[in-house]
Amino acid sequence: MSPWQEALSLLARLFVAGVFLYASYDKVWEPAKFAASVAQYDLIPLWSVNAVSVVMAWLEIILGAMLLLGLYTKAAAAWASALLIFFTGLMIYAGITGAGFDCGCFPGGVPGEAHAAGWLGAARDLGFLAAALWLAWRPGRWASLKA
Amino acid sequence: MNVIGEIIGGERRRPYPLFKVCLAILVLAMAGGFSFNLLMPQGIGWLPPEIMSPRYALAGLEQVKALHDQGALFVDARDAGSYAQVRLRGAVKLPADELDQVYPLLKSTLEAAPALVVYGRSLSRFPAAKVGQFLRDQGFKAVYVSEYCLDSLQEAGLSVQRRRRGGQS
Repeated sequence: MSPWQEALSLLARLFVAGVFLYASYDKVWEPAKFAASVAQYDLIPLWSVNAVSVVMAWLEIILGAMLLLGLYTKAAAAWASALLIFFTGLMIYAGITGAGFDCGCFPGGVPGEAHAAGWLGAARDLGFLAAALWLAWRPGRWASLKA
Repeated sequence: MNVIGEIIGGERRRPYPLFKVCLAILVLAMAGGFSFNLLMPQGIGWLPPEIMSPRYALAGLEQVKALHDQGALFVDARDAGSYAQVRLRGAVKLPADELDQVYPLLKSTLEAAPALVVYGRSLSRFPAAKVGQFLRDQGFKAVYVSEYCLDSLQEAGLSVQRRRRGGQS
C-alpha cells in the first residue's frame, strides 16, 4: 500500500474505533437501558431481546478496542461493517415507519438529548460504514499490532 | 535497526483464517457479556421481566375480538409516529417510551374503560408488554396484551383509522 493509503487506513481505523468505543461504553455499563432501546424496534422476539442486546454491546466494545490497537484489523473491520449495515437498515426502517424514537446508538450527554432513529441516522451510519468497508479492504499496517 | 520504522510499520501481515477470527470475536463478546451480567449488580437476566413475571393476561385473537365487542378500550403501545399513520379505530396512544408523560393525561379515560387491551406492532411485542406491565402496576385489574399485532387485528376484521393525505388523521 502507498503511504497515503496507509495514512487513510490509520485515520479510518482510529475513527471507527472511536465511534464504536463511544457508542458502546454506556450500552455495556447499563445493559437494561440498551435492552429497552433494542426492544423498541419491535423486530426480534421478546425472549431474545436481553441476550441480543448484551452480545451486541460487547461486540461493539471489543471491536472498538481491537481497531484502536490494530489487532486483527481486517476481521474487526468486517464485523464492524456487518454491524453498520444492520444499523443502517434499522435507521432506514425507522425512517420509513416514521418512528422518531431515540435510536439507542449513542449515549445522550444532556437530559432530553436524543439521537432520533430515521433518515439522518441512516446517513450518519453510511458514513461510518464507508470507513469500515475501506478498512476491511485495506486494513493497513501503520501503528497496528497485527493487521 | 529501524525501530521507528518497525513500530510504524507494524507486524508484517501474515494471512490468518478470517472466519475463525470473526467467530472468536463473537465468542469473546458472548463470554464477556454474559460474565458481566452475571457478576455485576446492574446486570440483566436472560429474559426481560415482562416475560419472566408478566402481570398482565395474554389475549388471543378470538378473545381480543370478544373484548372489542364488550367495549374494551384499546391502547396503542407503539411510537407516536406509527400511531399517527394507522391505528385501531378508537384506540388511545400510550407509547412505551413516553409512559410518564402521557399516562397522567389518559388516566381518567383508562379508568372509565371496562377492560384495557394493549397492542403493538409486530414480532417483539415488547412495547405492548411494557405498557401492559405498567398499567397493572398502576392498579388496573383487567389488562390484556394482544398476542397479535395491528396488522393481524385488522385482518381479523377490526376497523382501523389511517392518516388522511395532507397529514390529517
